[in-house]
Amino acid sequence: MDKLREEKLFKSLMLASLAIVVGSLFLVIAVVVWNGAPSLSLSMITQTPKGGYYLGKEGGILNAIVGSLYLAFGSMLLAIMISLPVALSLQKDYIGKTKAAYYIRLSLDVLWGTPSIVYGAFGFIVMLYLGMRASLLGGIIVLTLLQLPIMIRAMEEVVKLVPEELKEASYTLGATKLETTLGVVVKQALPGIVTAALLAFGRGIGDAASILFTAGYTDSLPRSLFDPVASLPLAVFFQLGTPFPEVQQRAYASALILLIIVLALSITSRYLSKRFMKNIIR
Amino acid sequence: MENLSLKNHISIQDLNAFYSGHHALRDITVEIPQKQITAIIGPSGCGKSTFLKCFNRLIDLTDGARASGKIIVGGIDVLDGSIDITDVRRRMGLLPQKPNPLPMSIYDNVTYGPRIHGIKDKKRLDGIVEKYLKIAGLWDEVKDRLKSPASKLSIGQQQRLCLARGLAVEPEIILCDEPTSALDPLSAQHIEQQLLKLKNDYTIVIVTHNIHQAMRLADYVVHLYLGELVEYGPASEVFKNPKEERTRAYINGTFLADLKTDAEINLKGNVCPYNFMYAKQALHDLSNGKLLKVVVDYPTAVTEVPRGMEADGHKVLSVKQINKTDWEIVIQK
Repeated sequence: MDKLREEKLFKSLMLASLAIVVGSLFLVIAVVVWNGAPSLSLSMITQTPKGGYYLGKEGGILNAIVGSLYLAFGSMLLAIMISLPVALSLQKDYIGKTKAAYYIRLSLDVLWGTPSIVYGAFGFIVMLYLGMRASLLGGIIVLTLLQLPIMIRAMEEVVKLVPEELKEASYTLGATKLETTLGVVVKQALPGIVTAALLAFGRGIGDAASILFTAGYTDSLPRSLFDPVASLPLAVFFQLGTPFPEVQQRAYASALILLIIVLALSITSRYLSKRFMKNIIR
Repeated sequence: MENLSLKNHISIQDLNAFYSGHHALRDITVEIPQKQITAIIGPSGCGKSTFLKCFNRLIDLTDGARASGKIIVGGIDVLDGSIDITDVRRRMGLLPQKPNPLPMSIYDNVTYGPRIHGIKDKKRLDGIVEKYLKIAGLWDEVKDRLKSPASKLSIGQQQRLCLARGLAVEPEIILCDEPTSALDPLSAQHIEQQLLKLKNDYTIVIVTHNIHQAMRLADYVVHLYLGELVEYGPASEVFKNPKEERTRAYINGTFLADLKTDAEINLKGNVCPYNFMYAKQALHDLSNGKLLKVVVDYPTAVTEVPRGMEADGHKVLSVKQINKTDWEIVIQK
């Protein structure tokens, strides 16, 4: 009888937590959709702002959409290129067991928790020193730095889950460490690697503070890596900051577009993961 | 011809292995004959798998493990740190305890090794897949679904796939680490039949704690006990007429469900060295030649209690795992 009560208690606790999580997330989405949907129009996503982003009630936010996509995809690709080798080298077959690896993990964990404005300020100082101005390239680099800790740690965790027997199988066939890592470990860990990249993408596309100084903001579309570039989080920030209700309304529309982009990417990556999963050993 | 078949293929000299301080193998010197099946027998925890892991230096991958001595294969000392270990490994296929297909299709599993070693030609790879899947006795079952994931196969099929995959890199030696222990009886029989066929072309070393399997398969037998070589020789001699008392006890012990014991003590929950002292005391109370059964659950005790009792001049007849945590040690005073 007591066990039954215990079981019931825990079940209701779990349901309560679930309700809080789902409920609050639903509220956020509902507010965004409720306020944003009326302002959402075709011109919103096909035109650049008219009359300045701060005061602008006309035109759209194409500049921010394009800018955010450039920034997020650019930084995600760069971050993957750096994170994957680092995560793989943290395997026990390479440096995983060394003291150095311990400190690398520790510093990544600290960096993970560092506020993004710190990254922004750091990037800004470096750019001043180099004589660079706020640009797409600067934004991409700072966002990459922001994504590295989360991406490396998440990738390392999935790489660690690759069973030793699989690696042994490859080694006994005469494969080198590199062949084993690329041919077996990456294959087995691929769905997890995709998830790790997606987590980092989410952090990258949603961050405003780190690109405030480094990518800048502009009403036009970027023509090169060295132009300043607009972004959706900053568009929301600026639009919310105006005294005009119509413009504030447009902030929600921008937020809604951001949500839709993240959702679309989530769904695509889930689909891709499923395809990669086909060969995975469980 | 007869002479050739008796040539030695692997020569092991003064092999010692350590697992983070634990001396797992002690001064083992033995010759493994060419194109024969050599069975390594002995109770669980006696170092059989470690022994096999030294051959292809898979022991390098275990933390804190190292091996010293010489294992000479074709004139090359495998344990020599300066040799190209990937080439040595290619020459020794390993059939693991649990099948471990790679996360790819059946076709890619078999061609994984050959592709690593530089074969790119699609026709040749197709040929390799067909040839070795046939040898492993799997071709007819999978020829229509070579592109489907290896993980979809049954566990017995997976083990045959692992055999085909190992053979595809054209090794001279096949190492088997209890290759049928995870399989159902029918699949196990299947693997055994393939091994018997393969011994015409390969030197096979099989680790097994199934004495019946050793009898069915082996031409030569190596008996390991607590990391030491007890006896080795042709299977017919070792099984019919073991020179060593411990081998006889092991062979008989596995046949009889239980040795008839005169006293029994339960040392579960005791750690070393207490279980040691209790066992000593219990033996002290027995008269010579009587058997004492000791039950322990402390991992170190499994190797150290028998070793200690032997050092005191008693004879350890069997060490057997009786359930997940408990081991049964039978000692003769």
